[in-house]
Amino acid sequence: MAAGASRGHHDSGSRHHKRMTEFIQQTAFGLLIGGVYALFASGLTLIFGVMKVINIAHGALLILGAFLTFTLWEQLGIDPLAAILITTPAMFALGWVLYMTMVRPLRSAPLSSTVLLTFGLALVLEAVMGLVWGNNSRSARPSYFDQSFDVAGIVLPKAQVFAFAIAILVLTLLFLFLARTWTGRAIRAASANTQGAALVGVDIARVSVLTFAVGVATVGAAGSMVSVLYPFLPGSHYIWIARVLSIIVLGGLGSLQGAAIGAVLLGLAEVYTQTYVSTEWATAVPYVLIFVVLFFRPQGLMGTRLREDVAV
Amino acid sequence: MSAVLDRLGSPSLWRGVVAVAAVALIAYPVLYDDLFYQNMIILSLVFAIGAVGLNVIMGYGGYISLGQSAFIGLGAYTVGIATTKIGGDPFVWVPAAGVVAALFAALLGLIAMRTRGFAFVIITIAALFILQIVAINWDSLTNGTSGITPPLPRWDLDYQNWPFYYSLVVLLAASLALSWWIRRTKIGTGLLAIREDEDKAATIGIDTPVYKIIGFVASAVFLGMAGGIYGYYLAFIDPQGMFDIVISVQIILAVILGGRGTLWGPVLGAFLIESVNEYSNQELGGGNSRLLIFGGLLVLTILLLPKGIIPSVRDALERRARRGKAALVGARLADRRPLNGKPRVAPAQPPRTLLEVKGLEKSFQGVRAVAGGSFEVEEGTITGLIGPNGSGKTTVFNLIGGTMKPDAGEVWFDGRRIDRLSPWRRAYAGIGRTFQITRVFGGMTVLENVVAPLRSFSLAQLRAGAVSGEESARAERLLEFVGMAEYGDQPAQALSFGQRKLVELAQLMMLGPKLILLDEPAGGINPTLVARMADVIRELNEQGQTFLIVEHNMPLVLGLCDPILVLARGECICTGAPAEIQRDPRVLDAYLGEDFKLEEPVAAP
Repeated sequence: MAAGASRGHHDSGSRHHKRMTEFIQQTAFGLLIGGVYALFASGLTLIFGVMKVINIAHGALLILGAFLTFTLWEQLGIDPLAAILITTPAMFALGWVLYMTMVRPLRSAPLSSTVLLTFGLALVLEAVMGLVWGNNSRSARPSYFDQSFDVAGIVLPKAQVFAFAIAILVLTLLFLFLARTWTGRAIRAASANTQGAALVGVDIARVSVLTFAVGVATVGAAGSMVSVLYPFLPGSHYIWIARVLSIIVLGGLGSLQGAAIGAVLLGLAEVYTQTYVSTEWATAVPYVLIFVVLFFRPQGLMGTRLREDVAV
Repeated sequence: MSAVLDRLGSPSLWRGVVAVAAVALIAYPVLYDDLFYQNMIILSLVFAIGAVGLNVIMGYGGYISLGQSAFIGLGAYTVGIATTKIGGDPFVWVPAAGVVAALFAALLGLIAMRTRGFAFVIITIAALFILQIVAINWDSLTNGTSGITPPLPRWDLDYQNWPFYYSLVVLLAASLALSWWIRRTKIGTGLLAIREDEDKAATIGIDTPVYKIIGFVASAVFLGMAGGIYGYYLAFIDPQGMFDIVISVQIILAVILGGRGTLWGPVLGAFLIESVNEYSNQELGGGNSRLLIFGGLLVLTILLLPKGIIPSVRDALERRARRGKAALVGARLADRRPLNGKPRVAPAQPPRTLLEVKGLEKSFQGVRAVAGGSFEVEEGTITGLIGPNGSGKTTVFNLIGGTMKPDAGEVWFDGRRIDRLSPWRRAYAGIGRTFQITRVFGGMTVLENVVAPLRSFSLAQLRAGAVSGEESARAERLLEFVGMAEYGDQPAQALSFGQRKLVELAQLMMLGPKLILLDEPAGGINPTLVARMADVIRELNEQGQTFLIVEHNMPLVLGLCDPILVLARGECICTGAPAEIQRDPRVLDAYLGEDFKLEEPVAAP
């Protein structure tokens, strides 16, 4: 009788222990992916800050970065994460061209026009990727693809750890660029007050194109990481639009810190839903977050207002 | 050639074109049995119903929805599920599809309609994808990705697709009637006002969330029904095909291409879009080519033809007709006609306090713009509110008018506490305001601007004609009063800054406010207009109208206002008659500076 009770206690203790381990494991996954999400969202929030454009093509540009990386890896054997050194400048150039041809003519148009324009661009990119790479699911698989670190029983896949570290590195560089360089300060000035910045001698046209190009370059870097972390196809960009929108709704627009916090929250919400609810419904997480946040905390978690009736 | 071009401007010609097109549409399936073209027209009709509906919220209201195909999907699934689970003919369930779509739009509206601009776009995208995920995962109801197969039609094959075809024609006619009716009622002017300037719309009594929800429901209801018929027609209802964002894009494209805000533009756009759709599916194999074509078309339309076909053609014809005629707006000021209004109301004894502000506070990220301001405005006065730049005058106006909510303090008006009310409720209570930079509704005519304000809210009133007889007569009287009667038909954006100020004043008078807040009525306008503005204010005041005026033109303030309140660093530092204010050392110190030299006040005529 006593032995039975003690065994029962022991079982529940180990179950509890197992549950805890699983929870820590999932939290680690969520944090790791949150770092990549943060890099992914930083470009969008940077662009919004300066030119008040919500770039809906952001998800498609990410997938483009992933496809470029995939080709570099498959054709030339370049490591997908090292390919960042190629995809980032390439995407920077693409961002420059896109800004000059499409975004610049709409400088003074209402926000809704640029939303539709960039949505059109997203469809074009999806189509072009489908024509070039086909509509099959791809994934770059370097040697460390299925290896992982083991830290006190917690599994940390190498690809995720490397991607996380690089994402943090790129974000830090971006942050230093904005904080320490003259150009970076000009971008922040233009973001705070475009007209004021123009008055004190900031060349807004140059800052705008540079910001757009930097924003696209960061999403290119994030794309290289995604090529290893997730299988992807041209149509995957919709779920990434959903993710970036929910990140900015959570974190507020135009702030890098806000985007980082929103990104981590989304990463955690996704892995918890996957583990404790169901894999099928995990895809709904970003959308549900958008509704919940806009309903209960319209000002976002970091203060930027999305709903204008509250606390103007 | 020139004669032909002149004829193009005639409305009867266009009525004829529409009539012929309608007859051709109705007669087509009876005269020709070509199923290929019948199919194209059926799909065009679905697009057209979607586009005419979307035009209500997007063209009139200025809110873009990227989630319109959600209503197609909801309608199709409603009909599909009801016929397979409950039974009956699919057509019987089509009205239910409309109801489901309308309810979903209302629900979405409740969340989304308190947001602005892009947050609405985000919500509509999210709603579409959430519904798709639900349709995929809720197997027991929707049969998941395998989809639902509705029963095959049971009518005689000789009738081909007529039941689909004609029911969609009826729905399109109903959509057009709804769109036409909305544009001609208060709902329509309210939505236009929201599109032009939502904050301003709220201050003239437009209950903006209600208008936006009505507009969104109107954009969904017939599309839901059309979706029901569409699913039955395709004989296959699945998550990918029904909740397809490309269809949303095509509906948006139809509206932009044809001309947003016009009645027929969306229909024209829809038939064009379906032709392109058919071409890309038949000739290019659909898939990526279809995406490329519609994505590219969206980009090109927004870059090159943002106004759309019908408005561009109309503008070109109007330019032609106007060639060589001088613009009315450049003309000299027209004479003003006094309001043969009410007799002067004797001020109550003792004078009654109309507005009372107690300990008002408002900070912006730590900066205290208004810090414990308290003052009163007595009925029948022209009270001036002066103070150095940044002393919080406009913020005080925003707090009284309801554009902002205070952090602390109270605002009492006419015996009621109003500081938590929405701007439109304050407008109903009797507060009218102008803005420092004029905010007329540029895309509407001067007369439409003046009749836009609403003194109260009722559902019955929404159905009233936008410019009804009695109202329009009153509006014209007010325009005569400010000397702008000749400009009634002009688009407000064509007016000069000063003329806009006069129109805004007339617009405000339409509310019949007890208190008028004027934010720099003389700012940025020429001396003749300043004098006219002063005359208008004085004359209204003689008839008992109370004013609270923020103004930097000191001679005007000293000549017009009594008493004058002085605001500095967010507080009301003193109040009194002009002569007292001029002598008060605190005012000289805080505001005028030591070297200030008094100018002569503007004398009353």
